Amino acid sequence: MTTPILRVSGLTKRFGGLTAVSDVSFDVHEGEIFAIIGPNGAGKTTTLNLVSGLLTPTGGSVTLDGADVTRLPTYERCHRGLGRAFQVVQPFPEMTVAENVLVGAQFGSRGVSGAEARRRAEAALERSGLAPLADAPVEDLNLLQEKRLEIARALATRPRVLLLDEVMAGLRPAEARAAVELVRSVRDEGVTIVFIEHVMPVVRDLADRVLVMDHGAELAHGSYAEVTADPRVVEAYLGAEEEA
Amino acid sequence: MNRLLRDLLVALALGGLLALLPAALRELFGRSAVSYLTLATNALLLGVLALSWDMLARTGQLSLAHAAFTGVGAYSAAVLLRFAEVPVWLGIPLGGVLAALLALVLGAATLRLYGIYFAIATLAFTEVLRTVVQKLPAHIAGGAPGINVPPLFRPTFVAGQMERWEVAFLRNQGYFWVYLGLLVLAVAISIALQRSRLRSAFTAIRTNEEVAGVMGVNPARTKLVAFAVSSFVAGLLGAVEAHRLGSVSPDGSFAVHTTVLALVTPIFGGLYTTVGPILGAGVLAALEETLKRTFSEGYLIGYGIVLVASILFMPRGLVGLLTGIGRRLTGRGSRGAGATTGTLDGTPLPSGDPPSASTEAKP
Repeated sequence: MTTPILRVSGLTKRFGGLTAVSDVSFDVHEGEIFAIIGPNGAGKTTTLNLVSGLLTPTGGSVTLDGADVTRLPTYERCHRGLGRAFQVVQPFPEMTVAENVLVGAQFGSRGVSGAEARRRAEAALERSGLAPLADAPVEDLNLLQEKRLEIARALATRPRVLLLDEVMAGLRPAEARAAVELVRSVRDEGVTIVFIEHVMPVVRDLADRVLVMDHGAELAHGSYAEVTADPRVVEAYLGAEEEA
Repeated sequence: MNRLLRDLLVALALGGLLALLPAALRELFGRSAVSYLTLATNALLLGVLALSWDMLARTGQLSLAHAAFTGVGAYSAAVLLRFAEVPVWLGIPLGGVLAALLALVLGAATLRLYGIYFAIATLAFTEVLRTVVQKLPAHIAGGAPGINVPPLFRPTFVAGQMERWEVAFLRNQGYFWVYLGLLVLAVAISIALQRSRLRSAFTAIRTNEEVAGVMGVNPARTKLVAFAVSSFVAGLLGAVEAHRLGSVSPDGSFAVHTTVLALVTPIFGGLYTTVGPILGAGVLAALEETLKRTFSEGYLIGYGIVLVASILFMPRGLVGLLTGIGRRLTGRGSRGAGATTGTLDGTPLPSGDPPSASTEAKP
């Protein structure tokens, strides 16, 4: 295969005595949809935070398209094509929906003109079905719309790799299906996707490959069928919760 | 770009109109115009101070160092004049530039501090600066008594052709125009910031710095830009004020009072807007003068009560109050000044552009 667009190797994060992420390694190839699953507290979100730069790892490295970005600040990683949607939706409260998305469009890449930024923001709003709500204050959005805004903002930065943290959580099945379609169509445009998910049918439908984490470390790694057949995975899930 | 140009032209036109105020006051009030002109000049000064503070506040940095930057502007004008006889037209801008450079240094040192920690650090910085200036050898910075600074305007009394009070009037008129010029400059800078993408960057950083970073905003650089621009204006102001007061001194030029005014006025008028700080400055300056004339003793108590009440009952300042009233009058939606509720089911809202001038005021 070609060089992976995202390579995580030996990633470790300790908070005092607690090891949240321990020696995690994985490669994601361009155009892939890669899932990270695992019980609560397995270190999934911490891993994404290390990849997007909100946390600095204790050890290991993150390589984006061949360049080591382990020590780069978040905005620098964003400029290099790393987009991120958060699990706990956190829109900028004093802005409208369109203004929120515009931030990503204006600052996501260097040297974007004002007109081009507006075009990108409109495109992202259109993609995520938020165009009719463009001028609404973000306080008026419901959960589904907030999740869409998270994705729209990340899309507006024109990412090459998009990190999605439980964007389906709390959605009704029909809403989740719409979100799955959205993620798939984004991938079809060439964006590589790394997502954390608890809803197993979503993982089954979307993921090309799956990384299972437990207690901060890799438990299993492979296709959906492979990992769900792994007795260790079954045990970890039965011990924690049943989702599938 | 279009709207930026339009806003700038409006600001310039209003400034041009205000420039006629001294002549109007003279026609209306005769010799009393001198004190009205002083009041108007103080209001302009307060407006510049408040607007410059607000520009930094837009990034979420609550600075208690504004007196440091007006002080540096004042001292650099005084010292440059004393040792290098730098002409005032150069000395005043240099005061602004030096204040901006100092802000970059302070900013770089305090970038990692948030909220109250940043505020405390900036307050300490002001005190350190005041002490350093005081302890410098007297032949350099004048020590505790300070340095005299010549006035910008020295109208001469011509017996028979003018009355005594007209000398004071002409002097005050000169400072009025200088401060009006400063205010127009500050407004132009503020509008340019509000109409550029820096506005989104400022708001994003203020409301969620982490997410702003993930969206590609460079928080450190953005804050430094705001800090430098804000301090440049404060430095210009300090330099002009040194000439108007006739001297600089550690206690006078680095007074905490300046910092307090710089932050109270925008809060009273309406934060994160161009109009708010200016509106607040006008109302507060007039209020202080009225109270002072009504109760010669203890007028500050009344002033304090008004400020406390305004913070309690107008959380978004005068601008918030006025837009709220404006919305109600035009019947656009039922939103009050501070209300943030709307339809929760996510139905599209009417794209409620706030009426008239409040596009700028909408946070």
